[in-house]
Amino acid sequence: MTQESEWEPKLLGFLCRWCSYAGADLAGTSRKKYPANIRIIKVPCSGRVDSLFILKALRLGFDGVLVSGCHPGDCHYQTGNYRARRRIAITKKFLDYIGIEPQRLQASWVSASEGGKFAKVVTDVTKGLKEVGPNRLFERKNDGEKAKAGSEGPARTKKG
Amino acid sequence: MMEKKLRQEAKALLEQKRVDWIVGFESGSLKFTTTPLITRNVADTERLVINPFITNNLANFLTEIEGRVGIVAKGCESRSIVSLIQDNKVDREDLVILAVPCPGIIDLAKIERLVGKDRDELDDITRDGDKVSVKVDGKKKDFAVADVLFDHCLACELPTPTKYDILLGEPRQPTPDLKVSGQNIAGLKALTSAERWTKWQDEMSRCIRCYACRNVCPACFCERCFVEETEPQWVMPMPQWPDNLIFQVIRNIHVAGRCTDCGECERVCPVNIPLRSLTREMYDIVDELFKFKSGMDKDALPLMVHYEQEEAEEFFK
Repeated sequence: MTQESEWEPKLLGFLCRWCSYAGADLAGTSRKKYPANIRIIKVPCSGRVDSLFILKALRLGFDGVLVSGCHPGDCHYQTGNYRARRRIAITKKFLDYIGIEPQRLQASWVSASEGGKFAKVVTDVTKGLKEVGPNRLFERKNDGEKAKAGSEGPARTKKG
Repeated sequence: MMEKKLRQEAKALLEQKRVDWIVGFESGSLKFTTTPLITRNVADTERLVINPFITNNLANFLTEIEGRVGIVAKGCESRSIVSLIQDNKVDREDLVILAVPCPGIIDLAKIERLVGKDRDELDDITRDGDKVSVKVDGKKKDFAVADVLFDHCLACELPTPTKYDILLGEPRQPTPDLKVSGQNIAGLKALTSAERWTKWQDEMSRCIRCYACRNVCPACFCERCFVEETEPQWVMPMPQWPDNLIFQVIRNIHVAGRCTDCGECERVCPVNIPLRSLTREMYDIVDELFKFKSGMDKDALPLMVHYEQEEAEEFFK
């Protein structure tokens, strides 16, 4: 049914309960327009977001993940967003290394008063995802064939 | 000799009741192999060995043993121990570290490939300085040491532990050779993103999910691993490449800042997945972004606990 030109990316947003979620609320109440591509999950803090959530979302077929929290220094739990920042930085680099487009993982700082910024972030991320294209990362089903080829491939014998 | 000194010291430690346990290496049941020896029996200390085949990372046992432990530590063990101290998993007071200046461990798989024979068919392997001699069928073949050591040993940054109680032998200076040991990663980085993804799909489709890589890793000390959680079930327990790949990627992210590039995961992999190409890259990412080298400074805060006010901002909108 859907043609390639009509394809809309699906974006999963992890928004922190104290800033970004309230920011998204404000965007709504102040009638800012932003793409409907985002599905939002409320988390207590951006520091709650394990890289596992991100990979799982991609595995389930989301085209991108947005993690959003309070600005540095504003975390309700003092340090949660600093930890999120370190985790997301290494995750993004590592995803790039194994061959997942790093644009699929985005992060932002949006405070409770930044409804406009939230709308802009979602617009930008959605636009970026349209350029990256649909998530076909986990489409390949065959396992056995390649596994066989792989074991014959490199001259690596058993190890001690 | 180091071995003799080690046996004496270990015996004295047990006799004087300074430790409850000794953790070291003994000869394995197969040719050239060694196996960990964990004992509280004074007589067993005679079985302790130090040779070019002491592969295991003994720090792995520290989180399971209760009481004071005298542990034989090469450079890589000492880094793992420091990392465990940082994470409050072990107490420095409970440890007596018997430091072994490590000249690098010989990779039997590399020797098998060079000689073209199985390890059972080799008569003897001896190391003399920068030369390794293999005796096979009555003939002697010489190899340069750089051709037969493990890749992670070539990249070793700490052959002699910096924190120790008893030093066995002369300290060695590190001579990391990143060119040879980093060949795999450099090769991967030369590929496009899509090619790398296909490459890892192929590698991971061999994985049988035996979890040897996780169980042998001193940095993997969670009581309950995410792969075994059922509510929610993060990954399927059945070995399929997408779940295998997610398992490896997340394992690497979870041990970031704890992984010391000891190469154990790659060594134990029964299907020869080049896991060190993942762990080493993560090690380099952490160093590049946060100037953090795991297991070097026991007073430093763990990577994911510490933060700077301004860092890594380019990843955020």
